Parts: sequence; C-alpha cells; structure tokens
Amino acid sequence: MVQLAVQLGRLRLRNPIVVASGTFGYAREMTGFVDVGRLGAILPKTITRHPRPGNPPPRTCETAAGMLNAIGLDNDGIDAFLTRQMPYLAGLEPAIIVSIAGRTEEEFVEMARLLDAADGADAIELNISCPNVSGGVDFGTDPARCERVVSGCRKACKLPILAKLTPNVTDLARVAKAAENGGADALSLVNTCLGMAIDWRHRRPRLGNVLGGLSGPAIKPIALRAVFQVARAVAIPIMGIGGIATIDDVMEFLVAGATAVQIGTANFYNPTVTMRLLDELPEALAQLGAAGVSDVVGTLEVP
Amino acid sequence: MTSFQGTPTYPDHAWHGNATVLENVQIARATFRIRLASPPLAERIVPGQFLMLRLPRRDDPLLGRPLALYAVVPDASGRPHAVDVVYLIIGRMTSRLREVPAGAKLDVWGPLGNGFPPDEAEHLVMVAGGIGQTPFLSLGREFLGMQRYGKPPRAVPVAKKATLCYGARSAEFLAGVSDFEAAGIEVHLATDDGSRGHRGLVTDLIAPLVAKSPWPCRIVCCGPEPMIAATARIAQRLAIPCQVSLETPMACGIGACFSCVARIRDESGNWDYRRTCVEGPVFDAQHVVFDNEELGAPSAREAE
Repeated sequence: MVQLAVQLGRLRLRNPIVVASGTFGYAREMTGFVDVGRLGAILPKTITRHPRPGNPPPRTCETAAGMLNAIGLDNDGIDAFLTRQMPYLAGLEPAIIVSIAGRTEEEFVEMARLLDAADGADAIELNISCPNVSGGVDFGTDPARCERVVSGCRKACKLPILAKLTPNVTDLARVAKAAENGGADALSLVNTCLGMAIDWRHRRPRLGNVLGGLSGPAIKPIALRAVFQVARAVAIPIMGIGGIATIDDVMEFLVAGATAVQIGTANFYNPTVTMRLLDELPEALAQLGAAGVSDVVGTLEVP
Repeated sequence: MTSFQGTPTYPDHAWHGNATVLENVQIARATFRIRLASPPLAERIVPGQFLMLRLPRRDDPLLGRPLALYAVVPDASGRPHAVDVVYLIIGRMTSRLREVPAGAKLDVWGPLGNGFPPDEAEHLVMVAGGIGQTPFLSLGREFLGMQRYGKPPRAVPVAKKATLCYGARSAEFLAGVSDFEAAGIEVHLATDDGSRGHRGLVTDLIAPLVAKSPWPCRIVCCGPEPMIAATARIAQRLAIPCQVSLETPMACGIGACFSCVARIRDESGNWDYRRTCVEGPVFDAQHVVFDNEELGAPSAREAE
C-alpha cells in the first residue's frame, strides 16, 4: 500500500492531488463531474476583502497548447464567501485552502484574521501573484514586500500559510526565500505567465484586459524549472502548479521537488482529470519503488 | 430544470466520456451536423442546453467548444441514444472537427447550462441568426408535443403554433430548414443578399408575424448579439415575453473559470457579470445589458 499522505509545513493532506484556485469554482460547480471528496485539497477561487466585478470580457483566449486569462478576480468578497460558500466547503473531506488577494498588506492581514476566526479553512494561500489586477502582483515581485505580507498574515492567524508566487520575476528563488523568511509553511509555484494575444486584422488585443496570464501545457517547462530551482533554494515544501494534466506531469513535478501538485487549466478541458490522476498515482509511485509520495519528492538526479 | 433567473445551479450528475461519432455530415455551406452516441447525455439534455466537445489526446487545440443541442436521436426501441449538434467552420478546432470520421471518438461532457424554460407559449416565435437556429429544432419539437426531453421527461404546455424566423448571410448558409419544416414548424427566412426569403434583417419579420398571430406570442432568440439586442427591443415594444440564449467565449462550460460572463441585471436594475454557462445561457431578454447600452455602475461592487 503506497502512502499518499503528504505534509506541507503544518498542513497535512491525505494525498498530493490538489485543485488550483480559479480553476474549480467553489467546488460545487464540479460535483456533477467529480467526487470532490477524494481530492487532497481544494482551493476555491481567490477571494478579496470587498466584492470585485472582474475584468470586462473577453476574459480568456486560447493559445497554442494553452490559454490566456484575465478574469480579474471576479468574486463576491470574503463576507459573502464565508456565508455562502464556506459552510458547504467546510463539510467536504479534503483540506480547504482559501486563496486570498489583498490590494494592501492590511487587507491580506484582515482577511487572514477573518478566516482564522471563521470555521472551515484548513490553510490560506496568499495570491500575491495574480497578473490581472493592479496591486496583485507587486507583493510577489518585491522580496521585501513579500516577506512583510507573509509575516503579517502569519502573525494574524494560526492557519498554515502558503505563498503563491509569480514566475514573472528575474530571481524567483529570492522571492521564495523572502516568503520562507516571512514564515510561509509552503510555496505554490507558479501562477500564470504574463502574456498577450492580438487580432491583427482589427489591430485589437484579444483580451478585454489587454494582458493576461498564460496557463496550460504550454507553461509546464517553466513551472517545472521554477519548482526545481526553488526547491534547491528553500527548506519549505512546494506545491507544483503549471500545465499539469497527466500522471507523467504529476511525477515530473514530484521528482523536481514538489511535495504536492495543483491541477489547474486541465480542469477546464478535462473536468474529470483529477479522478484519473488519483487512480493512476499509486501505480506510478510503485514504478519507482516508492513506499510513499515523500520517497520521490526532489529525487531528481542531475548528472 | 431551474429558472434562468435563479441562483447558479449545477448538475447533480453530468456525463463526461468518449462519445462515438455516428455521422458527421455537411448540411449547408461551412456547416456540419455531427451525431454523437451517448445515451446518458441523450436522456438528460433539454432544448437550450449544450455540451462541450473536444478532440481527445491533443493539447492543441486545447479547450472544448460549447455546442447547443440540435436533436436527440432515439434508438430502435425509442429510447434516447444519441445527440446531434450543428457547427459552423470558424477556426482551428472546427476545421479539424469536420475531418472526424464516423466511428471516431470525441471527448464530450454535459448536459450543461439551463435550457429554455417550459413556460406557456400559445405561439412560440423562435428568432435565429447565423448558426443560432440550432437550439430551436428540439425546442419546436418539444412545444409542438412531438418529443419530450430530460430525465424524467419535462412537461411543456403544448403550443398552438411554432414559427422559426431564421436569417443568414445567403441561402447557401441556411442549415436544417427541411428539418424544421418536417417538424411542423412554420419557417420564415431572411438573407442579407435576398437569395432566399426576405432580403434584409430577420428581425424585420418579427413584428408583422406577431401582429398577424391570433394567439399570444412568446419569443425565444439566439444568434449574433446585435440581432438579439434588436429582438429584445422589439419584444419590449410589443410587450411580449422574450428569452434569449447568449453565446459568450467559454473555456470550461461548467462554471469553473468565470470566462463566459455577460452583463445581467438583477431585480433592482443593477448589473453584474454572470456566467453564461451555469446561470444561462438562456436569460430573460429584459435582464441582459447589451453592448450599446449605458452601463452605469455594477451593483454592490467597487470599481476596478
């Protein structure tokens, strides 16, 4: 029997298959397709302190083996989340990791406090890397601000803290170390890569927000590189994210240094993908002679 | 089924799997009808709902495409067995889709979205433009009492008459007209170039038709947004109920991605972005904020 449970700092997951924020709605959307109870953890769509309408459409655009999105954190705010979504989520078996985004350090800290006081959250993921809102990405590009916001949230609540970082920086390891110094339990790597698409015949951007975040299989090598580099730079565990769609992808991220993985865009084009990965994971681990997930994490052999 | 105006609803049980292609045939210029074997989908889907369709084992094109139910096809014993959807060749995915032979398998999930509500309609007036006629064959059949849809089959008050007003660029793009006629649906056509039917806009046909009808009319509409907006204005002027099916770019079709939003008014007149896939695609016309309308501020939401 292969041991699937993993430990991310103070957060224990019964398996490493997690769904990424913004790709699984608030879980209810997916119940017609998947047994959400089997997942290791669920990250509901990012919430903000106050409601946000989000960006004007078109909000997504397909690109080669990927897609751009500029949703703009369309959400009803943390108060509505706690009353309308949390009671349902709290009743589910998987860990609930609530993704939050603030415009200021104070907003992040206030939301961390609210989640700490409310029932249902098992951990918090700080979305300091959303490319589609002004202010969203600044905490993820400036190491000093990153450390401050992580440590502020850490002090404000008892819940385990994950920091979700952007790949759109020159030195990701430096930002990662700042998050570690701030007291993050784990890192989520990576958010989308900033990109754009153009309709040249009409000389128009294809996204309402002009720029958007690239996700899907197209960014997998970038994400894998990020996990590999950061795993060598920090001591805290990593959740790998970026174009993961098959069991091979999952295993590559584990070997590169991820302790768990988040499935994102694949939920859009294969709504039952997570169930398949859960079915296939024990066999893939067994192929490496592993007794558990932790036996393969970060075992890449570099000649 | 739930109301198009209600809170988001998600299917208790949707189907995702490989569906065998039974037919993939051209029915008009650049327009194909594809038949997919899937009893679980065929028995659940109702008119106005859609499914997502994807070429399997490929990362490019990556995303599924939403396609509205055209017809539910029974097997020899009369049980729902397959679904027909109609697509227009537009881009990379549909160009590949036309090459898919019978016997091949496609990745399919659904049924998705909320269908047209089974409200009373003594005279059902279906207004379609472009490829927007596709949801109306099954709806017309349902309202004329010829076929029932859903599990358990939903009850729909039988209409005295169903009419399709259908506009396209030219005659060669008109797809499935004989299917509608065979279902007992009265068809009025319009083309931009006058190659068949009225020369001009399909919306020109609505007011005279309603004026001549001896019964109270209800309009349902699907097509390009300017045409939907025009139909909504006509319905408002004539004070007759009107529901519209919106087509917005979708990534997932299941409510997860928040891409496919349209501006929808609530009861107090404020608007918010709503997901077409799970809160629509059918909305009451009076709730939709169309592109050329004054926006005002979104309801209870701070400005970006």
